Amino acid sequence: MNSIRILIGILGMDQHEVAAVGIAKMLRDNGMEVIYAGCFNTPETILQSAIEEDVDVIGISSHSWEYLYYMPELMELLQKEANPIPVVVGGSVITAKDKTALGEIGVASVFGSGTNDEEIIGSIQELAEAFVAASC
Amino acid sequence: MTRTSRTRSGIRLKSNYRPDEGASETLKTHYQDNLGDPGSYPYTRGTRDNPGGGWIQRELSGEGDARRSNAQFKYLLEQGQSGVDIIGDSPTQSLMDPDHPLAKYVIGTQGVSLCRHDDYRELFDDIPIDEISISSSGPPMFTVASLYLLAMERGISPASVRGSVLQFPFYAEYCGYAYKMPFDLHLRMTCDIIEFCSKEMPKFHGFLEDSYFFSEAGLNAVEEAALAFVEIRHVVRTLMKRGLDIDSFAPRIAILVNCSMDFYEEIAKIRAMRRIFARMIKEEFGAKDPRSMAVVIACHTSGLSLTTEQPANNIVRGAVQTVALGLAGIQALEISTFDEGFRTPSKEAHLVGLRTQQIVDLEANITRVQDPFGGSWFMESLTDQVEEKVLAMIADIESRGDPADLVTGGYFKQFFEGAMSRYHQNVSSGEVTKVGLNVLQVPEDEDKLLRDVSEAKFEPLMERAEQLRIFKASRDQSAVRESLMAVFKVTSTDENIMEAVIGAVETGATMGEIIGVMREASGTPYDPYGHLTSPIEG
Repeated sequence: MNSIRILIGILGMDQHEVAAVGIAKMLRDNGMEVIYAGCFNTPETILQSAIEEDVDVIGISSHSWEYLYYMPELMELLQKEANPIPVVVGGSVITAKDKTALGEIGVASVFGSGTNDEEIIGSIQELAEAFVAASC
Repeated sequence: MTRTSRTRSGIRLKSNYRPDEGASETLKTHYQDNLGDPGSYPYTRGTRDNPGGGWIQRELSGEGDARRSNAQFKYLLEQGQSGVDIIGDSPTQSLMDPDHPLAKYVIGTQGVSLCRHDDYRELFDDIPIDEISISSSGPPMFTVASLYLLAMERGISPASVRGSVLQFPFYAEYCGYAYKMPFDLHLRMTCDIIEFCSKEMPKFHGFLEDSYFFSEAGLNAVEEAALAFVEIRHVVRTLMKRGLDIDSFAPRIAILVNCSMDFYEEIAKIRAMRRIFARMIKEEFGAKDPRSMAVVIACHTSGLSLTTEQPANNIVRGAVQTVALGLAGIQALEISTFDEGFRTPSKEAHLVGLRTQQIVDLEANITRVQDPFGGSWFMESLTDQVEEKVLAMIADIESRGDPADLVTGGYFKQFFEGAMSRYHQNVSSGEVTKVGLNVLQVPEDEDKLLRDVSEAKFEPLMERAEQLRIFKASRDQSAVRESLMAVFKVTSTDENIMEAVIGAVETGATMGEIIGVMREASGTPYDPYGHLTSPIEG
């Protein structure tokens, strides 16, 4: 397949960018096309960018509890639009309990603090390939 | 697992140091020029001759509304805290009112929600603002305006208020909290606050250079110091261009530095920064008053150095950093607490942070002898090397053009993005060792200690948006409008903004409204996020 396209963004007023920028660079170095949406996004702007940029995966970086409120909104929005783009979430604030809750609302993968790069790449690759195969 | 032979900024460490170090020669022949006793120029060894004086001990506080944060302050003061340090929630830090649509899920969860003078009244209720030091990591302009008004209301002279406000005009947009305003306006606000404080609140540090926030992008000690000085130098030059005498404001310049786990280099950094500052202010900017040359150093220990894995380990990190800072000699400290990776400090973490400071200060007696590393072949050599690298980096950055153009041209944005990627790589590759994260991990189900406290959450104050709407409707609308028009007008001139801002704050105008009007007067949208309309339109 062509190189994987992933959108990386941060929701609400969360302005902790170190991880998002670091991961974006790491994914680019590993051959992915990263569309970096930066801070101050809402579920609507994330979805809009994802559609405009025709990405295979949406990646949300989170270091504020805001994601607990925004993620259900984003997942609902995707469902309403019948859009099957896989969503992954990463961030140090995500606890084991939150991880389970994110899984229950349909988030495909959750990367907590300490997840190694190979695991992140592997998971995104798998999701993107399944998404592309399903849309063909 | 390897033990590194270099400091984080790349200075090679020898296995031991001997009397024939370059620094050792200087020690004999240039003691007075290069070091000096504590309290004397060039202040390498400390700005005051005050053995056992300790430092202002405080912990970053603020959550929920002002009343809840006031209770935090009182609790910590009862526990022996000697000053308060306020952090706003992310809307507050970004000059946004809680009724903004983007603020709704984060009101009061990462700091206190503040946007009007009534909030500051509640925040400082029963707190003797002329007796303790008040440090604000929140919006500098509104902290100063409200403290000034509060002093007047209480019949206290604003001149007796001590404390500081963080200033970060160069780097805020890229790592920290975005103001979303033209750079010229941000710089002008910074300078107006400093000028106002130097006249009306002369004991208050209107310019606490904030090298903490931006160095959390993963910068090393040399980069942190160099970028701090580039910003300080530009602000100083701008103030002098206004015709201000360097000695009228320089005594109240302070620097809030970071402290990573690179023990020796952090001590050398602080010693080098005092020396660089003293020489720069005296020789380059022509200060005559020794107080102008002696820079106050405060510290916030690195949140980035902590881990969410095994949070109890962070207590040890905070203690090691506090020892380093005690040895370097600082004037004020906040420790990033053990739950930092998850939240702003819980009550439990606050107390552990404060007790860590108290134990290092009182039990270990660290500050009884000032600059105990002074004269060490190793530490003097490292201080010289850090100084040399910092000076070279300042010269390099300034040779690239007017620092203001570098800000607007994106030079620093790129710089920070590079540092963030590098940090990620260094942690991934293990070049920066983090116990529990990239070495010596334990399985998730065994990582239990202090997790319950660290992971405890509370709800955002979503009702505050509605409360603010009711408050806004209850104000004297024509007085508010008139005061906002005054802010608009003065922003379009070269006059100092502070008086008009204080006038607006007094009528009940909110921070978001005042800033929005200032943005408008500078030719940019009232609400940079595109959700709100200006109250003075039409």
